Amino acid sequence: MADFQTSTHRANWIFTTQELDDKYNAARQRAIQTLEKYGATLMEVDVDGTLSYPEPQINSKDNADKHSRPKPLTIEEERYMRVFYENKLQEVCNNFHFPHKIQATALIYFKRFYLQWSVMQHHPKNIMLTCIYAACKIEENHVSAEELGKGISQDHQLILNNEMIVYQSLEFDLIVYAPYRSIDGFVNDMEEFCPVKDDQLHVLKAIHETARMEVDKIMLTDAPLLFPPGQLALAALRSSNEVHKVLDFERYLRSILSRQSSAHTVSELIESLNSIDSWVRGYKFPSEKDLKHINRKLKSCWGLSSHDENKKREKKSKHKSKKSSNETQNVPSHTDL
Amino acid sequence: MGDTNSNNGNNTNNNNKKPEWLQQYDLLGKIGEGTYGLVFLARIKSSTNRGKSIAIKKFKQSKDGDGVSPTAIREIMLLREISHENVVKLVNVHINHVDMSLYLAFDYAEHDLYEIIRHHRDKVNHSISSYTVKSFLWQLLNGLNYLHSNWIIHRDLKPSNILVMGEGDEQGVVKIADFGLARIYQAPLKSLADNGVVVTIWYRAPELLLGAKHYTSAVDMWAVGCIFAELLTLKPLFQGAEVKATPNPFQLDQLDKIFKVLGHPTLEKWPTLASLPHWQQDVQHIQGHKYDNTGLNTVVHLPPKSAAYDLLSKMLEYDPRKRITAAQALEHEYFRNDPLPGRNALVSPNADKAVNYPTRPVDRTTDFEGTTSLQPSQPVSSGNAVSGSIPGAHGGTLRSGPRQMPVGPSTATGEKKGHWNGDDWIPSTAEIKALRLWRHTGSERYIWFIMLELIRYLSECKVEMLCHHYLETLSFISRRQNLKIKDHRVYLFSVRCLSALTSILLLQVLMVSWEVKEAPTAH
Repeated sequence: MADFQTSTHRANWIFTTQELDDKYNAARQRAIQTLEKYGATLMEVDVDGTLSYPEPQINSKDNADKHSRPKPLTIEEERYMRVFYENKLQEVCNNFHFPHKIQATALIYFKRFYLQWSVMQHHPKNIMLTCIYAACKIEENHVSAEELGKGISQDHQLILNNEMIVYQSLEFDLIVYAPYRSIDGFVNDMEEFCPVKDDQLHVLKAIHETARMEVDKIMLTDAPLLFPPGQLALAALRSSNEVHKVLDFERYLRSILSRQSSAHTVSELIESLNSIDSWVRGYKFPSEKDLKHINRKLKSCWGLSSHDENKKREKKSKHKSKKSSNETQNVPSHTDL
Repeated sequence: MGDTNSNNGNNTNNNNKKPEWLQQYDLLGKIGEGTYGLVFLARIKSSTNRGKSIAIKKFKQSKDGDGVSPTAIREIMLLREISHENVVKLVNVHINHVDMSLYLAFDYAEHDLYEIIRHHRDKVNHSISSYTVKSFLWQLLNGLNYLHSNWIIHRDLKPSNILVMGEGDEQGVVKIADFGLARIYQAPLKSLADNGVVVTIWYRAPELLLGAKHYTSAVDMWAVGCIFAELLTLKPLFQGAEVKATPNPFQLDQLDKIFKVLGHPTLEKWPTLASLPHWQQDVQHIQGHKYDNTGLNTVVHLPPKSAAYDLLSKMLEYDPRKRITAAQALEHEYFRNDPLPGRNALVSPNADKAVNYPTRPVDRTTDFEGTTSLQPSQPVSSGNAVSGSIPGAHGGTLRSGPRQMPVGPSTATGEKKGHWNGDDWIPSTAEIKALRLWRHTGSERYIWFIMLELIRYLSECKVEMLCHHYLETLSFISRRQNLKIKDHRVYLFSVRCLSALTSILLLQVLMVSWEVKEAPTAH
């Protein structure tokens, strides 16, 4: 669909910062409620796509003193977890040499999914893989779940189990607009805006390249949920232009707005771009130490901690292969998934 | 949408109870069937929209073990983005968690162009009024223009996919349906062959028949041209016999039918012709063959100087780059001449009597799971799909896949059980070929007569497994011939005869060395 203006992306999936915070809070609250009720948060997604809550723990009342009850992740810790797996997602896509579009689509699916759910409820590793799988399906670059699973030595059944819940959580709004195309468009446009001589074409090529890398960074922040893809692209191009110094960017922005007879002013647009920049600057990747800590907490939230681990494992292996249940408990680090 | 998140909050025991989403509907029965799955008619129970009719399309779960059907997902994702008066409206998406199948709920349309054309041809025996034809065409183009300007190519336009609303405030409004094959054309396009899906060839554009790998919106306009002609003459314009093979075989007969009417394409008129694979290879000597140009105008009975003829010939332009676009077509003189097109295509503002079209047959024996609750002796009235291919016609429904519906245990006729299995008789694709060929000859009455004759002869034949498409074909024929199959015994016998007949026909086909190199295996 070429028309972003009438898209579900624009209508349903661009939020204000406030709305975004509310959604993250609400998802976390739902997970906490589950935790209080059942003593654990991880949802079981069965082969048929049905969801079930963790089994209420009979002894949870007895254990309910402050020390043994699992503590929920903080908002910040949840964010770290998503950040970690978004990086993994890019890594996996790069390893498979998927086009940028697929990576961007998968990332946006992942972000949207965790507006509805907390990482405490669905294992981000599985969701990440399913998002990649779904993005391949939608972008007509079909890769079988088995192939995908094999490539990263993961159980492909976990990918398939989560497919329907991902579509559902995305409310079947599956067409997303990535900023990469917008960059292509703007670079073409720039060629006309500031006619360069043939020997200078490499300058535009350079600005194009750098902008793509900038977008990769932007895609890892919350900005894609806050700004339309065109603005994300312009922010990336502006940063790129600061490196290569090809054109007067503000003049270029003015020319775009005047041509589109847009209702927005240049200062509004610049404000948006600044805000996108600040998202990129504020981006924080969790430290090794943070990750370890979060994972320990997450594991206990998932009901996989020490005392009843064996019981859980036993229960799980009824549904899933041994391999996968072991993997669910792996501590994510930089080296594994 | 709708109930998609209903599972987030409650974990109900998903036992055999009716799923929650299903309880909001009264299921009336099956109205269609295709390779994608089944279509049901249902009514809304809730007070806000009580009694509103809904068509529910159930997608089969894909069997290759690779998750949710890509066709279903593609259709949903496109329908979620589009909204236009002349495009079918997706009301809701439901998931049946028990078997992971997807159910798409659409506003129900009582008619479609296939049924309307058939009604005029077989029942009322007069052509469709010029007001109605023009209104259908205008609305079809209007919907298509919307799709094309949103970079969507439909790719499978045919009369059965063009729905027309029945009584109500949208009466006579055209709705384009079935987006299972639709594509966004900025996306990387794969060739038809890569998709592994069957598209009716009668409406297929010549550039595709000649092996073009990439689609443009012009392929839809060719189909509109074919549909326009069919609305005028009540007969499909180019009824080629399909070569059924994978991947994407060369459809000589279809091209032959086109060339016979429109003349041979030339490089002067169509410069890019030379680059098309089948033209280049010219294995079938299509370049050398000479055609007497029958003339489109005589086929469609239009004066060559009329606006209607001018528009039609611009839609059936060989060169896709010169072919008229939907937007241009809407501006055509034809739509500015009397009678002007209207929103209610079925009832002219000049209030001449409206034709009473039959309502869709509803098979009340099939439930949502697709299982039939009655005895197999009841012939399935293969009603027409709401937004899918028509069983028994246009070749859309014949399955080349594994046969799944063994019907009619021979015990019902009191016969001895044999171990003869219909499946190993002849390759299924060959059967389909034969059936198609036979359908296109149009001599059903004759065939029917032979069939009755053959009943006696074939009564010893021990048929146990009956392929579903035989049933469809049979009910198709019986409807065409206004024959009522009352007796189960006769019915079963006839089906057997039909099976025998296909093999006889196949032999003939092989003998005249039809343009098939080998009988490919069904995939």
